[in-house]
Amino acid sequence: MTALVQRPLYFCRRALEAMARGPRVALVATGTIFVAVLVTGLFAAALQGAGALLSNWAGEVQISVYLDQDADLAAARAAAAAAAPGRTVEAVSAAEALRRFRTALGPQGALLDGVGTEVLPPSVEVHAPGIHLPEARALAARLMAVPGAREVDFGNAWLERLERALSRLRVVGLALLGAVAAGAAVLVANTLRLGVLARRDEIEIMKLVGATDAFVETPFLIEGLLQGLFGGSLAVLVLTLAAELGLPRLTSALGVALPFGRDELLPASLLAGLALGGAALGLAASALAVRRELGRS
Amino acid sequence: MIQLYHVTKQYAGEAPALRDVTLRVEKGEFVFVTGPSGAGKSTLIRLIFCAEAATSGQLLVFGRNLAKVRPSQVPYLRRAIGVVFQDFKLLPDRTVAENVAFPLEVRGLFPKDVRRKVQGMLRSVGLELKAGKFPLSLSGGEQQRVAVARALVGDPALLLADEPTGNLDPERTLEVMELLQAANARGTTVVVATHDRQLLERYKRRILALERGQLVSDGAQVRQAGTA
Repeated sequence: MTALVQRPLYFCRRALEAMARGPRVALVATGTIFVAVLVTGLFAAALQGAGALLSNWAGEVQISVYLDQDADLAAARAAAAAAAPGRTVEAVSAAEALRRFRTALGPQGALLDGVGTEVLPPSVEVHAPGIHLPEARALAARLMAVPGAREVDFGNAWLERLERALSRLRVVGLALLGAVAAGAAVLVANTLRLGVLARRDEIEIMKLVGATDAFVETPFLIEGLLQGLFGGSLAVLVLTLAAELGLPRLTSALGVALPFGRDELLPASLLAGLALGGAALGLAASALAVRRELGRS
Repeated sequence: MIQLYHVTKQYAGEAPALRDVTLRVEKGEFVFVTGPSGAGKSTLIRLIFCAEAATSGQLLVFGRNLAKVRPSQVPYLRRAIGVVFQDFKLLPDRTVAENVAFPLEVRGLFPKDVRRKVQGMLRSVGLELKAGKFPLSLSGGEQQRVAVARALVGDPALLLADEPTGNLDPERTLEVMELLQAANARGTTVVVATHDRQLLERYKRRILALERGQLVSDGAQVRQAGTA
């Protein structure tokens, strides 16, 4: 066995032995990381859910191109389809518009008796699910070039409010997520510091017999990494199970289909980030704690 | 081996622990550092193994000026120095063999070499049958022999012992002193800080006497005045 292999194995053995010697400290550290990652994950999932909800509302966006009464509906539809490639485009004649209006009025539809079809303009409806405000503006500008177009309505005010809400949610959410993660990091660092303090004598003796800082530090870092990875993975498992079991119950309790499933709420990238984040948290907190002690000694 | 030139160590808000100390310890010597409590014995030992830095003056160990040794180089310097303390400083949750193995593991020796050297060292201090025991199950004398074994297992050129027999009865004291003498006979320079007059009288060695941080005598005789 070469020194290159033997040294890392030695450090891993030391880290595992230390955890076996002080299982309570290791459990508390792992538990703290688990709670920190779980809270951060719950918050991130809530953000994902809120984002999905708002995006779902945005999914109902429809752009209406109102035409002159004498406009060539077929030509307008073709032009609109060319201006909005990949989107569903529907031509609505004045008569059809009136019929839809009557249907929408329901029992009050009789109010429209005697009203001529010229009251409502013919239009071309472009369905634009998930469209964002700048994109909607650009599409509206292109649709203004449709032959016979009089006005383009994309629910500007509503879409702007929605965009603002989404943008605020992202900023506030990220700030809160950062605060939660920072609080968790401080909590974890203090917990791991307890573990380092419990082994202050060991550090002192290692330094006394000629151990370099790296020699002292490495097993602590491995411990932090393992505890972080384990705590983070456990949190990911709990989050996944909670989403798997909780979402169907929530759907049945609310009586409406939620616009997101487990994969939207907890995408694989988020789960991987949480597990790796737990490992990084353990590593960073360990490094902080042991370096403070080494600095002191 | 050790050279001090006008070394002073002053802690903030306190009287100097060492004042203008100049002395020289040659390679292979066995030297006692003595004096009453607070005389500066432990401070001198701590300065030599780089636990602290002198406030002023020059301190050379193995010909290296400690003021110019970079912090990253201190561990490598310490590997050539064995240190024994009055309170043993053993890890209670490690076996005797694991405690003794520490300095060798720090040096990156292969496990089989560590085992071989530890066994040999425990044999030489008479503890080969206690290798698997934990320190707290041993007597004070045995614990100090473990500490001496740990200090010597890396074949240090210099052995520093700070009140190594302070917690031991006379019989155990002699056992530990025999180990230090044996190490010295093998060529290790030994510096023992003690205020035990009987030790100084029994072992006719060079005595450096400190009082209130000053070197007040340097010779083979125990001074009549004071403790030493």
